[in-house]
Amino acid sequence: MSDLTSEELEIARQYDLVQKMIPFFDRHLLYPILESLGDIYDEKTITKLTYELFKDTNMTNFLEEQWKKLDGGSLPAEIVAKKEQKEKEFANLNEATKKVLDVLRQQDVQEHLGQDKNLNREYLEQNHGITEEDIDRLYEFGQFQYNSGDYVMASDLLSNFRALTTNSEKVLNATWGKLACEIISTNWESALKELAKLREVIDTRSFGETLVQLHYRTWIIHWSLFPFFNTDNGLEGLLDLYFSSSYLSTIQAACPWILRYLVAAVVGSESSTKSNLSNPNFQKKLKDLIRIVDQEQYEYNDPLTGFIKALYIDFDFEEANNKLNESLVIFKTDFFLANVSDIFVKNARHLIAEVYCRVHNRIDLNDFSKFLNLSRDDGEKWIANLIKQTKMNAKIDEAAGSVSFEHPSGNVYQHVIEKTKGLSFKANQILATALQQQDQV
Amino acid sequence: MASRFFQGGASDSEYSSSEEELLSSSDEEFVSSDEEQQQEEQDEDDLSDDSVFGNESDESDSDSDLDSGRARGPAYFLKKSTVPDSDDESSDDEDRKVVKSAKDKLMDEMKLSISTISSSKTTGDWVSVLSEFEKLAKNLVRAEQQNYGTPSVYIKAIVELDDDINDVSSDDKKKLNATVAKAFNAVRQRVKKSIREKQSLVDSFREDPDSFQKKESAVASTRETPTSETKPSSLNAELFTAYKAVAESRGKKNFDVQENIKTLEGLVSSATSPYESIIVYLMLIPLRFDTANNMTYMPVDQWDKTSEDINQLFTILEKNIGSYRVLETAEALDDVEVPPQPNAQGVREILGSVVSFVERLDDEFTRSLQVIDPHTTEYIDRLKYEQVIYSTIIRAQLYSEQVISQDAISSGTNEQIARIVSRRIDHIYFKKSALIKITEASAWSKQSTQSKIVAYSADDDSYTDRLMDVLSSVLYKQSNAIYRKKAMLCHIYYYAFNNKYFKARDMFLMSHLQSTIHTSDPVLQTLFNRALVQLGLCAFRNGLIQESFEALQEIAVSPRQRDLLGQSTQRFTNQTSVAEKQRVLPFHTHINLELIESVFLTSSLLIEIPQNAQLGSTVDSKRKQQPRNFRRFLDFHERQTFQGPPEGTRDFIMHAAKALQAGEWKKSVELLTSIKIWNLFSNSEAVKEMIKEKIQIEGLRTFLFQFKTFYSKLSLAKLSQLFELPESKVSAVVSKMIFNEEIAAGLDQVSNSVVFVQGVELTKLQELAISLAEKAQNLSDRNERFAATGGATISGALNGMDKRRRRTAGRA
Repeated sequence: MSDLTSEELEIARQYDLVQKMIPFFDRHLLYPILESLGDIYDEKTITKLTYELFKDTNMTNFLEEQWKKLDGGSLPAEIVAKKEQKEKEFANLNEATKKVLDVLRQQDVQEHLGQDKNLNREYLEQNHGITEEDIDRLYEFGQFQYNSGDYVMASDLLSNFRALTTNSEKVLNATWGKLACEIISTNWESALKELAKLREVIDTRSFGETLVQLHYRTWIIHWSLFPFFNTDNGLEGLLDLYFSSSYLSTIQAACPWILRYLVAAVVGSESSTKSNLSNPNFQKKLKDLIRIVDQEQYEYNDPLTGFIKALYIDFDFEEANNKLNESLVIFKTDFFLANVSDIFVKNARHLIAEVYCRVHNRIDLNDFSKFLNLSRDDGEKWIANLIKQTKMNAKIDEAAGSVSFEHPSGNVYQHVIEKTKGLSFKANQILATALQQQDQV
Repeated sequence: MASRFFQGGASDSEYSSSEEELLSSSDEEFVSSDEEQQQEEQDEDDLSDDSVFGNESDESDSDSDLDSGRARGPAYFLKKSTVPDSDDESSDDEDRKVVKSAKDKLMDEMKLSISTISSSKTTGDWVSVLSEFEKLAKNLVRAEQQNYGTPSVYIKAIVELDDDINDVSSDDKKKLNATVAKAFNAVRQRVKKSIREKQSLVDSFREDPDSFQKKESAVASTRETPTSETKPSSLNAELFTAYKAVAESRGKKNFDVQENIKTLEGLVSSATSPYESIIVYLMLIPLRFDTANNMTYMPVDQWDKTSEDINQLFTILEKNIGSYRVLETAEALDDVEVPPQPNAQGVREILGSVVSFVERLDDEFTRSLQVIDPHTTEYIDRLKYEQVIYSTIIRAQLYSEQVISQDAISSGTNEQIARIVSRRIDHIYFKKSALIKITEASAWSKQSTQSKIVAYSADDDSYTDRLMDVLSSVLYKQSNAIYRKKAMLCHIYYYAFNNKYFKARDMFLMSHLQSTIHTSDPVLQTLFNRALVQLGLCAFRNGLIQESFEALQEIAVSPRQRDLLGQSTQRFTNQTSVAEKQRVLPFHTHINLELIESVFLTSSLLIEIPQNAQLGSTVDSKRKQQPRNFRRFLDFHERQTFQGPPEGTRDFIMHAAKALQAGEWKKSVELLTSIKIWNLFSNSEAVKEMIKEKIQIEGLRTFLFQFKTFYSKLSLAKLSQLFELPESKVSAVVSKMIFNEEIAAGLDQVSNSVVFVQGVELTKLQELAISLAEKAQNLSDRNERFAATGGATISGALNGMDKRRRRTAGRA
């Protein structure tokens, strides 16, 4: 158990998404997530869950460990039997694939292999006697190794298989497998590459059944959380993916809880110190986000979406602050969000302040500092920085302890002048071109 | 044989449910239509009656079944169920001397057409060939409607015609004059089409014309053989004699239905075996329906008896489920006295359709409700019988589940189950779940078995939701789109009515029905409108004003909303057809129009009053609103010379609107909540509370828009006191308005007030200047566009002319 207070624990449990997300992950991917739940739930339960989770896999050693933690007694018979069977199967598959792998390792073979898969196949078949079946064996072995927890090996096998086979369905499956391997071995770069490959296949218009497509998309959405939240520019990629219209509707239709990560990604994506928050790109994303959160309110609510709702839909600053504090717990306990926690909180504060300043003509420095959880002096500094960054038209009145803002309003004269400015020039231009045409004729 | 049976049924979309039936005794003329033949003789008058007028009036009957795709009138099976006995030819002989059977007459007409065709085509008179061929086709349709099957002469004729057409060489064709050539081509295409339709028959004819014709007589003769030898003597001979007498006379001119019903009632009591009871009931029930044919609806006592009989039949069938079954797909009986042979499971199958009985019973029930004045106690009394019919429907469903294989149910290939389930949905979709629960409880109290599709449970709170989900999903699997659409709409209606707005809305949007509904049949369109309106009302109850406004907009402002909702026939035409009359829904399913109006007007009020107040002072043309119906009502109201105290619902809302404009939100709320119609909502107090809250907020907004020019500062405390809202809420509303740049103002945290930016309000001159600038810009834009497109076309045309000139010059 961790250092959370009982209230925090309650919040964390209330908004725990793992149960909802489990169906969308591979069981191997779930392990790290389950492990992270140690903060919220009883350790024993988790070990039990983990055990149940991997019961059907080939990771016998791992299971043994878990079993010992759980019970300590002698191993159940099924596991012992599985252990034997696993070894046998391993020997079998290892034997079967040895030939292919040996051939592939040869220098001259590698030189001969080119882009065209059919040519490669012919070459291998003629010169080294490798048939379709042998190649399929690679796939099976890869799956086996993955199930046994040897992810690096599995990844290698699968990429070899992919290079050789022509069966597109199996290629897709192998790519999923490889993605899982890369994720578990935290090779984020290559995981992203695999992800892009999958998207390419799945997003093609001719991709068979829509239901299957939807299914694959939900998977992509969930799996991509791993690499995106763990790489430097991952959040950008995540936003690109989630905001693309087909994926956005997938989120809305099939897995609204992903909105939490979307909120986190939007708010946490820019660093406020670079005063990026007012750039149009960010504003547009924010607008989209507000719209979606508003639309999906009835389906999904958690402190993060609540924050957006309180701030931009209800304009309830206090509530927004409360929600922000609640989301701190989420950041502590959510498996994916740990990395963006700091920047999210910082940006969220900034956003609150920004909206607050926009609707106010004058604010009280004392109240505002309290609101920001800062001392008065710090608050003053914070405001000064804000003014500097956003180039707001604002002045601090130290004596009265307040800040006043000037909100420039549109000037009618300016407005009319701007509208009519180009008119005569434009008219001249049109006339000139018309005359020119006349001349040509 | 069974497939033939259905084919015949599917093609007779206008099949008559009237009692007159055609009889045929000359089977050899027809291809495998034996079991479809009818027993009743009929004189010639009846023929035309049946095929022309009869169909017309009965169209409505199949309409009220809501699925022209299924297309069998309820009485279709009733005819089948009267025992077919093809060996009654001898008894028909004397009749034939007097009148020619309708079938013979039809046959003669067809033969005549065929001979004309063959003589005309040899002379090359394709025009008369075409007209005769059309006549022939018409008669064929008629023959098929009466289930005679396809006459072999017809097949022969089209095959020969096809051959002849192919023989006509292209040179000959050129010689024909224009009209004849046209006719020739028309004939060619029609013949091709006809051949395609009857491909299998044509093929077998082509293979071997002789045996083709022989086969039919063979079919006919095999029918005759297996009669008497196996006749068990133990059967009640007297019963069968009486039974046959009724069966033979049915449909004849002087047939006394009442008399025969009495006879059959007597037979019921004297029946000794289940088989006898079943066949007697299968005959008795259709006869009972026959009595109501010429009336607007079936008298209640008759209906009662019929429903009793049907339930009796079910009791017998349920008791003998292991030995006797009534199936739509069973073989027809050759002789009533011989019970059908048991099949592999030892079940004797009898041809008939219990589902059709129940459907017909339900139709009669609906018809009575359509006719009875809804404001009388008679209507209420009648409505009490809904429980009876609902229980019977459930019984029929249970029976169907038992006799139809599980695979067919889950794969959606069986239509019988779909028909009965769709009836069941008809009876529940417009009800509150509490009411459905009561109905279900009392229906299931009489049942001993459980449904396989959805098991009844009294304690489960979500039972009704589940019931609706499962029943609809049975229909979703049907291949017939009409069932699917109907189920979808009923499903949506149910959820909207039971206050599950988001679920209903999501289903509505995902169904994509909006894009195709205008091509569906009127009954479905009505249902679509009803679901949409219900969705709007549901949104309103949940405080979703904008959504409610959008959903109701189209229907609420339509002058034909009654028609759109199926609650009255058109007022514009005096002569409404029977079909239209039958489309009208019974009163108890209506949606209250006044409620729709008041919900719509209240939503409009909440949306438009603040908007108008805002527009009063801004010049931004982009924000100007789409058509404003509410505004029109309001203007009309204002123009009245004398404005008395509010009377109707609309008056109340108009007064409320005026009060809101004047900033008197309390008066506005008072007026709105005193509208009595809200009591129709089951949660009327909550709705009133919701209206109050909304008015408070919109009142605040209107107030700010309306009077901002008169203030430089307004304290939040004052606003909060004025509108009885908590200060935080006031500040939230004001913040939102400022943030969205609806008002030029800012909050002052120190003095806790709204500070209006001065000098933003425009003078008249400034406003005009801006609109002038806008117009000038528009003009310039249009000029530019014209220069871009118009200029190009002009110069393009000139260029073209240039080239032509050059070419002619070159040639010269």
